[in-house]
Amino acid sequence: MTESTMPIASIRDLRIHFRSKAGVVHAVDGVSFDIRRGETLGLVGETGCGKSVTARSLLRLNPMPPGIHAGGTVEFRGAGELPVELTGVDESTLRAIRGNRIAMIFQDPGKALNPGLTVREQIAEVFYQHRADELLDDIGLTDRAGLVRTLIAREASLRSRWIERGLLRVPPLRAHRAALRRAVDDRVTDALAETQIPNPRAVMDRYPHELSGGMRQRVMIAQALACNPDLLIADEPTTALDVTVQARILDLINDLQRRHDTAVLYISHDLSLVRRVCDRVVVMYAGKIVETGPTEDLFANPSHPYTRGLLAAIPSASHQRGALAAIEGTVPELVDPDPGCRFATRCGFATPMCETTDPGLAPVAADHEVACFIHHPVPGGVGPAYEKAAT
Amino acid sequence: MQVREYLIRRLMILPLLVIGTSIIVFTLTRVGGSPIGIYLSHEMSQEEVAEIEARYHLDDPLPVQYLYWAGGVLRGDLGWSGISAGPVTQVMPDKIAASLELAVAAGIVAVTLGVGLGTFAGARRNRLPDHIARIFSISGASMPTFWFAIILLIVFWVYLGWFPVGRSTTALFTSIEHPTGLYTVDALLAGNLRAFGDALWHLVLPAVTLGYGATAIIARMMRSSLVEELQEDYVDAARAKGLAERVVLKRHARRNALIPTVTVIGLSFGFLLQGSVVTEIIFQWPGMGRWMADAVLRGDQATIMAYVLFTSVLFLGVNLVVDIVYAYLDRRVVLGD
Ligand SMILES: Nc1ncnc2c1ncn2[C@@H]1O[C@H](COP(=O)(O)OP(=O)(O)O)[C@@H](O)[C@H]1O
Ligand code: SF4
Ligand SMILES: [Mg+2]
Repeated sequence: MTESTMPIASIRDLRIHFRSKAGVVHAVDGVSFDIRRGETLGLVGETGCGKSVTARSLLRLNPMPPGIHAGGTVEFRGAGELPVELTGVDESTLRAIRGNRIAMIFQDPGKALNPGLTVREQIAEVFYQHRADELLDDIGLTDRAGLVRTLIAREASLRSRWIERGLLRVPPLRAHRAALRRAVDDRVTDALAETQIPNPRAVMDRYPHELSGGMRQRVMIAQALACNPDLLIADEPTTALDVTVQARILDLINDLQRRHDTAVLYISHDLSLVRRVCDRVVVMYAGKIVETGPTEDLFANPSHPYTRGLLAAIPSASHQRGALAAIEGTVPELVDPDPGCRFATRCGFATPMCETTDPGLAPVAADHEVACFIHHPVPGGVGPAYEKAAT
Repeated sequence: MQVREYLIRRLMILPLLVIGTSIIVFTLTRVGGSPIGIYLSHEMSQEEVAEIEARYHLDDPLPVQYLYWAGGVLRGDLGWSGISAGPVTQVMPDKIAASLELAVAAGIVAVTLGVGLGTFAGARRNRLPDHIARIFSISGASMPTFWFAIILLIVFWVYLGWFPVGRSTTALFTSIEHPTGLYTVDALLAGNLRAFGDALWHLVLPAVTLGYGATAIIARMMRSSLVEELQEDYVDAARAKGLAERVVLKRHARRNALIPTVTVIGLSFGFLLQGSVVTEIIFQWPGMGRWMADAVLRGDQATIMAYVLFTSVLFLGVNLVVDIVYAYLDRRVVLGD
């Protein structure tokens, strides 16, 4: 494979567990998938099935402890860079990727923005963190030597301590600091303008609570895309928003992604949204992947009983939008799970072997894989089948 | 509401609250005994006592007596302090200055140590440094002041002789002018570094004693609010931007964690300012606390009332300042709600 056809990120047999009072929660338990360059990959499943934990592992954001990295790798291949194995990489390499090559938008922009900092201060941090050199260039300090440059360079990369910040208020340095601020402001304005926020200069000085939910999410998007990342993680980006705003935010993400050729990992429990925006879909259930395939194919030929259940639950004109009520039962405990198929407790087709043996993912069509014995050749015993259950 | 508008409204209510407090305390002290008890002796005749009572309007009904007292306050007359053998208005500024100096020193100890320790512990939740900080805090909040003070006194004054008690060395005290009554400031104004060092040296033990309890309270508050802030989404979002953990902690989490801590800091400072009876007595510090204790023990009602006036204005003022600082730190706060 050439570099341009290699996936931007590959997750292999990822296992992330959490220690809890009840035991070890197998939140993510042997998940493998690729994210390809420029594609939109949907990650769907019920609340609590491990979507966020999986996504956050791409930024190594899961808290450890209580989290445990119980195995697997997360490899990231940024454009023109050597592959990096994110679960084991050192802190500074990781931080150079975070917010720069991989960025994230969170479910609730009201919580993911710091209430005590202005929009300007929050977006500026991304430039200070990852574009300090360019900022120095902007204000013509790159080729200078000496104290002025050192102090401004430290300020430009968020490294200055309070004494230095005090010095920066004194006349000779003050002008440089002001120039630095103007250079950052220009970039912040541009980033906000990208998201079609009207009057970015005015929005810059607002605090998050002064903005509407939709505006806040635009600010989050501006912040995430500030450094033009290779991969954007969008964890339920519209769940907390008004229905009327949802579509516009989705279109915005889609539009920006196309223009900048950004890959998007789009997390949702809303299948109709996923169908609209994603190229491929990964379906998770209780910490494992049960089905994955191209959106068209997966929606036309859902092969796992769980996916079928999900699709049956998609709201249509005839019945109300709601939970995934069409599937009976509840998600099994993720604490010390049984070895068999996790869906067996709710599956109408389960046979005894489903409860003891884990059906691994296996292809059913091009690019389309399913983890269910209905589609696997079962050695010796009698496997489950859709036809049998129908009669 | 605008800060200015809010301030004006609060300043208008302030006198009412002070009047209310003083009425209650005035009534209670008068019920507790006659204000001239401290001046009477057994040799006085019934007539002489009655004459004194009449002279000080003590034969009038209580509300009238209160009005005499309040009228005096408005004219700048707080009465005669029996225990200090002088007018209250002349004695009190020195006492306030002494307590103020001690409170500021203790406050500096408490805020820097408390915020620092709380941040340190909160950022290392449930790890060893957190447990050690917790032991420190619990002992600070639960250990009786007199006990801690006496231990310090025995170790650092009696045995080691590192720190003195009292407020200053007499020779140095008399060698400089005292325009402010704050000895450290006076010494600096006089340009006398030896006197400054002496004043500072005398401050150490009482400031540590007084500041320890407040340190503990501030540290607990800081720790728990930091732990709470660190679980917020915006902290993860800040990490997701690639910011260093130091920046995430200081610029993001700590700043917000300080908001609830400010209230605790303000109230602690109020308590420090009103003077600590125990600390001032043990370290022979001539402040408001010791003065008040003497006044209560000897029934010096003019002094007691002056003290009450002082503390009620103090606490109302501290509350006001806390509200304003709070509103400044937390942009979401709308004052007056
Ligand atoms: N920080 C954490 N501490 C303990 N358990 C966690 C933590 N984060 C996630 N989990 C557990 O991992 C499981 C999957 O969570 P998550 O990935 O957030 O689900 P979702 O698919 O809704 O995004 C849940 O059972 C949750 O309890
Ligand atoms: S493996 Fe068995 S239990 Fe699991 S989904 Fe398939 S039929 Fe159902
Ligand atoms: Mg989630």
